[in-house]
Amino acid sequence: MRKLTVIPERCSGCRLCELACAINAFGVNNPKKAKLRVFSLYPHPVIKKPIVCNQCRIPKCSENCPTGAIYTEDGIVKIDEKTCVACQMCVTSCPFGAIFVHQEIAVPFKCELCGGNPKCVEVCPKKAIIYTPEHILGQSMRLAGVLKYAHMKEVEYFEHGIVKKLRYADTEKGKTSGDNNDN
Amino acid sequence: MTIKGGYCQKILEMDLSKNKKHVIEVSDNFAVKYVGGRGWGARIIWENLERIKDPLSPSNIVVIASGPLSGLYLPASGKTSFSSISPATGLYADSNMGGMFAVEIKQAGYDAIVIRGRAEKLSYLFIDDDCVELKSAKKYKGLGCTETERHLKEDLGDETLRIATIGPAGENLVRFSCINSEWSRNAGRTGMGAIFGSKNLKAIVIRGTKDLPVFDLTRLVELGEHAYKTLKSHRLFEFWQRQGLMTVVDYANAAGILPTHNFKDTCFDDANKINGEVMETFYKIGDTACYACPMTCGNVNLVKEGKYAGTVTEGPEYETACMFGSNVGINDFAAVLRANYLCDEYGVDTISTGNLIAAVIEAYEKGILTLDELDGMALHWGDSDSIMELIRKIGEREGIGNVIAEGSYGLIKKWPAIKQLISQVKGLEQSSYDVRSAITMALSYGTSDIGGHHARAWTIAKELEVGSDWTLDEKAEIVIYQQTVRPLFDMLGVCRLPWVELGFNESAYAEFYSAATGIEISLEELLKRSEAVYNITRAINIKLGATVKDDFPSWRCFNEPIKTGPLAGKKLEMEEYTKILQLYYNKRGWDENGVPMLKTLDRLELTDIKI
Repeated sequence: MRKLTVIPERCSGCRLCELACAINAFGVNNPKKAKLRVFSLYPHPVIKKPIVCNQCRIPKCSENCPTGAIYTEDGIVKIDEKTCVACQMCVTSCPFGAIFVHQEIAVPFKCELCGGNPKCVEVCPKKAIIYTPEHILGQSMRLAGVLKYAHMKEVEYFEHGIVKKLRYADTEKGKTSGDNNDN
Repeated sequence: MTIKGGYCQKILEMDLSKNKKHVIEVSDNFAVKYVGGRGWGARIIWENLERIKDPLSPSNIVVIASGPLSGLYLPASGKTSFSSISPATGLYADSNMGGMFAVEIKQAGYDAIVIRGRAEKLSYLFIDDDCVELKSAKKYKGLGCTETERHLKEDLGDETLRIATIGPAGENLVRFSCINSEWSRNAGRTGMGAIFGSKNLKAIVIRGTKDLPVFDLTRLVELGEHAYKTLKSHRLFEFWQRQGLMTVVDYANAAGILPTHNFKDTCFDDANKINGEVMETFYKIGDTACYACPMTCGNVNLVKEGKYAGTVTEGPEYETACMFGSNVGINDFAAVLRANYLCDEYGVDTISTGNLIAAVIEAYEKGILTLDELDGMALHWGDSDSIMELIRKIGEREGIGNVIAEGSYGLIKKWPAIKQLISQVKGLEQSSYDVRSAITMALSYGTSDIGGHHARAWTIAKELEVGSDWTLDEKAEIVIYQQTVRPLFDMLGVCRLPWVELGFNESAYAEFYSAATGIEISLEELLKRSEAVYNITRAINIKLGATVKDDFPSWRCFNEPIKTGPLAGKKLEMEEYTKILQLYYNKRGWDENGVPMLKTLDRLELTDIKI
């Protein structure tokens, strides 16, 4: 199972993903019909985040759907247009705001991963949206956590007259103040 | 021919005096003949010219136009064009802005908005698809541009609104104030902010939800995909994403064309302290991009320490880095960022502001201005504190700032001796290229329809590189060619930078146009329409009293040779410039007074233009 994941600090806010998504999904040049959204928090232009569906294993949208129109198929959360009554309960119950509505479209719509070849990933000029195996999710946070503990340090040394660098973990610095009880 | 897409074929006309909206249906013939954007703007201004009195009176109009390609699936399709009569030059004016605003205009179902009259009280216009309302902006009076946008979004409860707003400088009718959108997208030049201010229009807020009409979406997507791939595979693409236009600082300094100390010098000793490298290493914290553009040339910068710590701004790009760097002698990038931030917040054009502040510093240095006239500020090169104070004074029209706020012509009227120190054409302060070494660039500035700006033609790099054997004929021709291609982008509602910077082929735009509108057209035909629009703007300027003498660059170009750097000793010769100017008129089909001849207007199908 692969999932969409985003790296917000890479996003430039160009919204090409929205446009490509809407064209792909509905055949119209209208970013307001995209199944994902880039959210820019004003006035902090640095904070831009593509909001994508996480295809939750325990989907709140499905749980709260009064007609049972939301079901999971091969790990992808889908809306059955026939059963859906467009009450928009799913829109407000998604913890990420990743289900959208448009006045010209009868029922709410959401990302279904473009049959395994997500258009947004393909067009993103900054590689801010990636399509990755599930077990990779969270890897960047794990790495950050490890580095934070280890406080990687660098020293320069000479070998045969050439400057070389050595990276090592300064584990002492990684201790939080709470650990230093014996001082 | 019948339009099958690309255009909404509707113009929203808003009379602020009567608080009345009116939707005009646009004929196929009009839409295609003037293409869109600045082309529509120029034509609409021409039709209203008789009625326009003073640029800052309610009789002036402003045309805010997207183009037929705006908002479509192709690189950088988010340009909005503002056309009017400029309060700085008294002549035809246009200025364009990136971002998302044009897309939203079209999503609301219009190609353009025409604003007339003057609202009774400070107001903002809220266009919510078909619902158009004029609302009180009392609450936002005096607020900076980004602050106004933030408050409007909060108050209207929607972060996805698109907003174009003016700052205090626009409200105070500073003649080079601008219109700002999304943090740092500005229609900067020619004083569009003051025109909004004179109409008591603080902002325009738009929310549009409609599909953009496209004739052949499959073909457009194919062409778009190809364009994106071409740009991404360019060898400079990644570097461009990192530095954007800031790369030009090093180039201009090495070439010896970087305006320094009010255009006196052309090389700056500390250029390596205000260049792209410094920005990237010490200040840059993120990218921004305009709509559907992979090039991300907006650099978000943060000052982390020192007296300007905490300043966050999108920018600068080359023009600002030069005008608030080398041109005023500032060698501290943090100060450049601060100046950029203040200009955006007050809503003044960084080019005009930096240019005029530099002229005032030199005037004080030369004894033309006294300490009293400067409100006791002993100005000197690189004095960042005083420069920040001057920006504030300009924005608030206080003391000396009140005089500078009147622009080049205002300063010259008050202190005639300052005329020789100001680099301007037609009353618009010149942008950041020294032209003493490159006559084609001098001609570009001289004959630009809005005044001293490089948007219409940018020939300097090519001339310095390979132009030494060009004949005067060839030199005039290259300026005309550029003045025909570059404005075409403003008419189509797209950005020219993919073409300028990453060598994207201009003929692709004819294909985009055909796919969008269903009208098969060649690049030549589009260029002919761009040439026609150049003749309309010329006709407007002639009607408004412009003459041959308005087509000359500033005094310094002819009288003070470059002192240092690789191009030391160069200056323009009046005789040669006069000759190339006449050649240029001739090639354009204009008479010796620069007036388009009847046969030229005939050839361009502009027989109804009577000069």
